[in-house]
Amino acid sequence: MKLYYFSEMPHHEYPDGEADQYPSLRLEFPNRFFDREKAHANYQRYLTEYEFADRAGYDGLMVNEHHSTPSCVNVGVNMTAAILARTTRRAKILLLGNILPIEENPVRLAEQIAMSDLISGGRVLSGFVRGVGVEQWWSNINPIHNRERFEECHDLILKCWTEPGPFRWEGRHYHFRHVNPWCLPLQKPHPPVWIPGTASPETAIWAGRRGYTFVPFLVPFEIARELFDYYRQGAAEAGRTVTSDNLGFLICAVTAATRAKALEAGRHFVWRMGPTLRGPAEFFSPVGMRSRAGARFALKARPRSLAAMSYEELLNGHFIVAGTPDEVIDRFARVRRELGVGHLLLEAQESRMDHPTTMRSIELMGAKVIPAVASL
Amino acid sequence: MKPREQMIRVASTDVHTWIGGQGDPLLVLHGAGGNRGWTRWLQRVAERFTVWAPTHPGFGLSGDADWMNGIDDLARFHLWFIDAAGLGAPHVLGHSIGGWTAAEMATMSPASIGRLILVAPAGLKPEHGEILDIFYYPPSQLLPMTVHDPKSIPEWDALFGAPLTPQPQEIAVRNREMTARLTWKPYMHDPRLDRFLPRVTNTALIVWGRDDRIVPVECGEQYRRLLPDARLVVLERCGHLPPVEQPDVFADLVIGFLEGDGRR
Repeated sequence: MKLYYFSEMPHHEYPDGEADQYPSLRLEFPNRFFDREKAHANYQRYLTEYEFADRAGYDGLMVNEHHSTPSCVNVGVNMTAAILARTTRRAKILLLGNILPIEENPVRLAEQIAMSDLISGGRVLSGFVRGVGVEQWWSNINPIHNRERFEECHDLILKCWTEPGPFRWEGRHYHFRHVNPWCLPLQKPHPPVWIPGTASPETAIWAGRRGYTFVPFLVPFEIARELFDYYRQGAAEAGRTVTSDNLGFLICAVTAATRAKALEAGRHFVWRMGPTLRGPAEFFSPVGMRSRAGARFALKARPRSLAAMSYEELLNGHFIVAGTPDEVIDRFARVRRELGVGHLLLEAQESRMDHPTTMRSIELMGAKVIPAVASL
Repeated sequence: MKPREQMIRVASTDVHTWIGGQGDPLLVLHGAGGNRGWTRWLQRVAERFTVWAPTHPGFGLSGDADWMNGIDDLARFHLWFIDAAGLGAPHVLGHSIGGWTAAEMATMSPASIGRLILVAPAGLKPEHGEILDIFYYPPSQLLPMTVHDPKSIPEWDALFGAPLTPQPQEIAVRNREMTARLTWKPYMHDPRLDRFLPRVTNTALIVWGRDDRIVPVECGEQYRRLLPDARLVVLERCGHLPPVEQPDVFADLVIGFLEGDGRR
């Protein structure tokens, strides 16, 4: 099983009491609380941690993108990927990912991902996501078109990578008369495509049909298994065989020399489960963004919200793993047994987890955990 | 007299329509909340006019229209509906996004319409304020914002009092989705509508609630200035739903205007 290092690049640099006065950290918490000097230092720190994760032995570095929220100030997944493409040497660079429905120019996106792939020597894993509702508000793209735009944007990017230009594209949402990108990915036919899933059966089936790597985020094991069943259904329709290499899973994880230290550090993940997800349903799932099937599945997938769970429940449910390297290895082995995944994505830094703690965790993962789980 | 419900086919789309009353035809176009059927004001107006109240495609019990992108599409569709239903050149009354639709229809084909009644129509960008982002709020929070005072509304309990059972709940979601499809961007307005409104020489009545928190009353002034033959009536202690909030006053206004002899 391969391990991936992921930081949301949070900006938890304000008094919590201030944030609590707003209905949500997303969209509504005013950016006068954004601290420019601290942001400068944090970006440097977060990139240093990524670069250390590469040297420490992580199989991949995952980067993501959100907007209008202190929970993630990585506002450009391709910018981060381009930096890491140059400053790291070995690990895959997993973009998970580009938010296709809010993209106005898929050709530019195809070029940018290709450029990171070229700079990195073909290390890019190109994740495509539908985004959370907040990004629809941020971009003011009609959420009713979310899935249509996701699929059409995907189709155009793939065509840019796989079919010779120049060609014309006249779709419903995208229109280009002269497509001929002079920047193509190093990997042939194109970088592997990854798709996350939280609640949408349609997405799982769609990814299965195409053989893309499918990664549920922070859901109970039984829901992940159900999503994998949808994935297998799609794969079967297309006559594809599913292996562990097609499946991944995302959790939060930290390790330390002692159990007490690890548990203390892991508590920082509770912030992303609660305060960062607080807000009206309309923010996260605006009108029309989810199909009826997706909405029904979402209710089932989250019988209890992550925010309602205590730290202990989050640990017991494997949403957070925190322990000594040996304990963490046991936990990861359990995930592997339960789900049969080949890729485990670790949200490994969050909130106010400090730099030394983060670096020590990366170091121990590299020295002890990654070699131990590699053969699982 | 009892109204009837009928499916009227326009091209490939079935349009669920309430029909009833007597007299000249009056086409009534509903707002984002959907077709509320034979409510009190409509019963009053139907004593003098034959009311045709279609449910917009994508709303309520009408067929889908995923292909539509904006209110201009809906306006062209309802001009087609007028032909399909054989209404000649009916008077047209539209509320909120239905009012916006009616205004667009009049700019496209003024001769297809008799007199025009616009009730708190969206469609113009306010010169100073903003149109409330109705999609940003949960429906339960939005509803009280649409009116001046729920307690003063005779039909409040009948229309909004009971929790929604599954079918109306599904329709409410559908109505919201179709409204988003038609109005998301530019939000609730057509940046070029002001250029075309001067074409509308039809005699027009604009009705607004002074306390409208959805579409500010200043838009009523803008419509009045842009339409060559329009009068604006602003109702006190009234929000965004004049036909529901003040059904009798509203029905009298409509009848008086449609039966009057033009400008007063």
